[in-house]
Amino acid sequence: MVNKFIPKTKAEALELLVKHDCYILAGGTDLMVVKKNVAGALPKFDKDVLYVSHIEELKGIYKDEKGIHVKSVTTMDEVEHSPLVPTLLKKAVSEVASTNIRHFASLVGNIANASPAGDTIVVDVILDAVLKLESVDGVRYVKAEDFVQGVRRIDRKPNELITEIIFPELDYNGEMWLKVGSRKADSISKVMVAGIYKISGKSLEKCALVFGSVSIKPVRSYEIEAELAGMSLEDVKKNKEHIVEEYAKLIKPIDDQRSTAEYRLTVAKNIIRKFIDQVVGGNN
Amino acid sequence: MERYKTSTPKVDFLPKVRGEAKFTDDISFPDMLFAVTLRSTCSRGKIKSIKLPELPEGYYYFGAKDIPGENVVNIIFSDWPVFADGRVNFIGESIGIFVGNNKEILEKLRDSTIVEYEEETPVFDFSESYIHKAFTKGNYEEAKKKAKQVIKESFETNYQEQAYLENQGIIAYFDEHDKLTLTGSMQCPFYIKRAVMRSCALKDNEVRVVQPAVGGAFGGKEHYPSMIGSQVAIAAIKLHRPVKMCFERLEDMTYTTKRHPSKTEYEALIGENNEILGLKIRVKLNGGAYKGCSGVVLSRALIASANVYVIENLDVVGDVYMTNTTPTAAFRGFGSPQTIFAMEMFIHHIAKKLGVDPLVLQYKYIAKKGDVTTNSGHFHDDIILKELMEKAMEMSDYKRKVKEYAKPGCNKGIGMSVFLHGCGFTGSGESEIINGKVKLVKDENDHVYCYASSAEMGQGNETTLKRIVTNTLGIPIEQATMNYPDTDLTPDSGPTAASRTIIIVGFLFEKCAKHLKEIWKPGVRQEYVETYVGPEYIHWDENTMQGDAYPGYAWGVNIVEVEFDPVTYQVSVLNTWSTYDVGRVVDERIAVGQADGGLLQGLGYGYLETMKCENGRFKNRNLSDYIIPTFEDAPHMETAFIDNPFPYGANGAKGMGELTLVGAAPAVCLAIESAIGKNLQKIPANPEYLMEVMKHEN
Amino acid sequence: MKISFKMNGKPVSLDLDPSMRFIDVVRDVLHLNATKEGCGEGSCGACVVLMDGKSVNSCLLPVANAIGHEFVTLEGLRETKEFDVLQRAFAATGGQQCGFCTPGMIIAAYSLLKENAHPSDEEIRAKMSGNLCRCTGYQAIVEAVKLASKEGEGLW
Repeated sequence: MVNKFIPKTKAEALELLVKHDCYILAGGTDLMVVKKNVAGALPKFDKDVLYVSHIEELKGIYKDEKGIHVKSVTTMDEVEHSPLVPTLLKKAVSEVASTNIRHFASLVGNIANASPAGDTIVVDVILDAVLKLESVDGVRYVKAEDFVQGVRRIDRKPNELITEIIFPELDYNGEMWLKVGSRKADSISKVMVAGIYKISGKSLEKCALVFGSVSIKPVRSYEIEAELAGMSLEDVKKNKEHIVEEYAKLIKPIDDQRSTAEYRLTVAKNIIRKFIDQVVGGNN
Repeated sequence: MERYKTSTPKVDFLPKVRGEAKFTDDISFPDMLFAVTLRSTCSRGKIKSIKLPELPEGYYYFGAKDIPGENVVNIIFSDWPVFADGRVNFIGESIGIFVGNNKEILEKLRDSTIVEYEEETPVFDFSESYIHKAFTKGNYEEAKKKAKQVIKESFETNYQEQAYLENQGIIAYFDEHDKLTLTGSMQCPFYIKRAVMRSCALKDNEVRVVQPAVGGAFGGKEHYPSMIGSQVAIAAIKLHRPVKMCFERLEDMTYTTKRHPSKTEYEALIGENNEILGLKIRVKLNGGAYKGCSGVVLSRALIASANVYVIENLDVVGDVYMTNTTPTAAFRGFGSPQTIFAMEMFIHHIAKKLGVDPLVLQYKYIAKKGDVTTNSGHFHDDIILKELMEKAMEMSDYKRKVKEYAKPGCNKGIGMSVFLHGCGFTGSGESEIINGKVKLVKDENDHVYCYASSAEMGQGNETTLKRIVTNTLGIPIEQATMNYPDTDLTPDSGPTAASRTIIIVGFLFEKCAKHLKEIWKPGVRQEYVETYVGPEYIHWDENTMQGDAYPGYAWGVNIVEVEFDPVTYQVSVLNTWSTYDVGRVVDERIAVGQADGGLLQGLGYGYLETMKCENGRFKNRNLSDYIIPTFEDAPHMETAFIDNPFPYGANGAKGMGELTLVGAAPAVCLAIESAIGKNLQKIPANPEYLMEVMKHEN
Repeated sequence: MKISFKMNGKPVSLDLDPSMRFIDVVRDVLHLNATKEGCGEGSCGACVVLMDGKSVNSCLLPVANAIGHEFVTLEGLRETKEFDVLQRAFAATGGQQCGFCTPGMIIAAYSLLKENAHPSDEEIRAKMSGNLCRCTGYQAIVEAVKLASKEGEGLW
């Protein structure tokens, strides 16, 4: 018989997590699918559940010198409508599932699930987002890309609760978000790419590209980004195919019921070309 | 709305929009039990043993040994057992059912049952034909001698899942007279009745079937409910308690019947002056483990194999292949989408190869009144297909766009398909096999009750049939009532399938109403029953497949405009323009609804919906895996109807339930071809396939 | 556990397992059958109810999360002026065929119009894309929402 806890405060939640290894459920839009039982029966939870959606301290979005803080129970819908949130994140959020889901799914839940097809995780990684994890032992900050360790595996100790995701203020003047789903809406992605860049005069001061759904976790290469930093736009254009091939080595997609490895790799490469065209073409 | 000013408020609208209409899973009875199915995990083999877990008090198991009557589901060809007995032929085949009052416990009982199989090698390829049909027209071999060239192509179509929003479900219970009654998500109440009579060894007056609100069917609930109905009936009889079986999406998606996949080969004989002298057509359908209605699906596929084109010499052969997979069965179009896709693509590819405008070829060969059909019958009625084409092209600015989109670097495309659909059952099926009947009863208040076995499943037939009656009688629509069929009250008008509801049942109601009008006595209870008699000039030989295949044909044109994304290989369907000849529209709003819905479902079949079957197992598990179009995928659609009254139709009306789906796949594929400049040979034309096409040189 | 929330304007307090799906509370405990289950995994939208005025998939909402919130199902909505406008619009355009998706469509349309009283066709399609329909081809429903927006001027 599993316990179902409904704490009213953060302190209550952290106390419970000392003695109980729990599923932490905010919106439930992923957990309730994974643990689904027959209609009418209780979900098949095999360990205790901590329902955190009532903790007011975990709701809201605010800005300080560290960046934009999105508290962990904040819904995708609230993120989509917030004037504080980076537009790249809004683009990704607006394509997650459906309006109905976004009305009660939490942003943080998406990265906490660590599904290879988690849309917002790609943006968390490219925007250097940091997760704030709290426990009775204190506070720990983990970079988004380190937080996701594998398929449905995250760097959270059993007594920790994610309380915020923090997006530091980054300096860039161009962005791209492309999610390739199986249809125009309400679909799980086959490939997704987030890109940000800063152009200074005729050179690419810096850029970043992150790929999702092509490996067990988002793919990012600091080596390639370092190679590109400071390159003239003309050289970027000349090196287009080289850049594509460098990334192709890192992208290891699979065949599954949604798509094929070949399609995912081919499209990822096409998207890199499109990104480079956008960068050198001067479109922001 | 101005456009619909002559339309009637739908009979079922208020209960449905208010959420008061009762669908199967909304219905409960006191003392009701649930049934959960034990299914084969083996594609082909003998059942060596079934080790059931210990059944707690109030839990039961029923299998083949519990069948009171014949262990067979009564279908057109009855080879599908109600419960597998001694051997299984596909993964998912029903072996037995657990019955009890807690679904979670039932699932645990099922999951802890151990079935041992002696496995045999399953067949998944097209190697074992179990239905074969063939016919000819003219003399293909002779014509070959005159041919300047021979053009050959192959085409492929895939499974399609009906994906009705309401999953399958059925309840067996005992009515107020303690009669065994079934209610459930169905298309054909009398099919279920006869199936239960046969499997439960019951007489005609011992089984009753009552239709509730049905959440979509599209052919998927034409035969399948006969099987699950028999299963719950067996349990209900044994326990003398109501038994309900309602599927959730996973079970419905992975185990119920789908559209037949096809492989077709078309060969054309081209003459000196680019004439199409003859066609050799080979059709292969995947029928799954049991034949069921596949013979009729094959017939329709072959009859439609030359589509609207009148070609003098034909050599047509078709086979249905046994594979150890879930049997395939009815789905809107019933065989014709497969061959109409092939023929439309083929004639356009021929035109491309000959350097001829496809319109020139099409205009030369599209049927006219009096022409000889594919099966050597005749098109007895006026055909306005050319008018439909011209109107559709005008609505869409087609000719200008064809030129514009042909320019290099343009990723937009436009395509047009033309097509027909035979309304009603093949040949003399209506008169000789079905013999449909309808009944009108007028009470002392001169209120008219309309009785037919046509199931309302979204197509609005309650409203359209009632309208035919009241129009004919010259009474206001409120003076008539049409309820969902109840086999105790209504005669058998035949199944709700084959686009026959308006053309046959509607026509019956018109005749019946005319008779009632003649004998009408105000203030007196009167009734009249009308039995179908078809036009005497319709003659059909099922064995030779020669003659007039259908009492009438409906015709259509779909023009689809797309944009192709060369980065992701995805297709956006931007706009569609369609014109249809359905004789005469009974209700404009309902007709446009059928047109929109059928077209989108056909588009899904053509470019989006991908059902994967590997080693006898469907891989798509839910509506997030099996992708049907959403609001955002659906294009803006424009539809126009042109009147062409049918002499044997109610006020000239023909059928349209399937017509609006059958042309969509070729239309969208031709549009994609126009955008990418390469030929397509198979559907769904999904991004993975389009990527392959773009990567390979033609 | 005692779980309290508001349903169709009335307070409800029930002894329930908090992990129970809200759709099962609605249909099996409260016997409100207008809300339908089409997929059980949040893909089809047939199960949506209003939670504090916004459409949510009740098949994924645990009743633990419902505590203290206000819910409206079609049984509650159908007594309102807004429903009347929506209902007339759906009737006029033909936005209902088999009717199974209809309760969800009405709830989703209401939620949309309350947030955006004058949506464009694109906005309607984008916002309602979580509600699937297999019968209508969607166009009549888009027209219905546009019509309801117009006819319900001031209500939304």
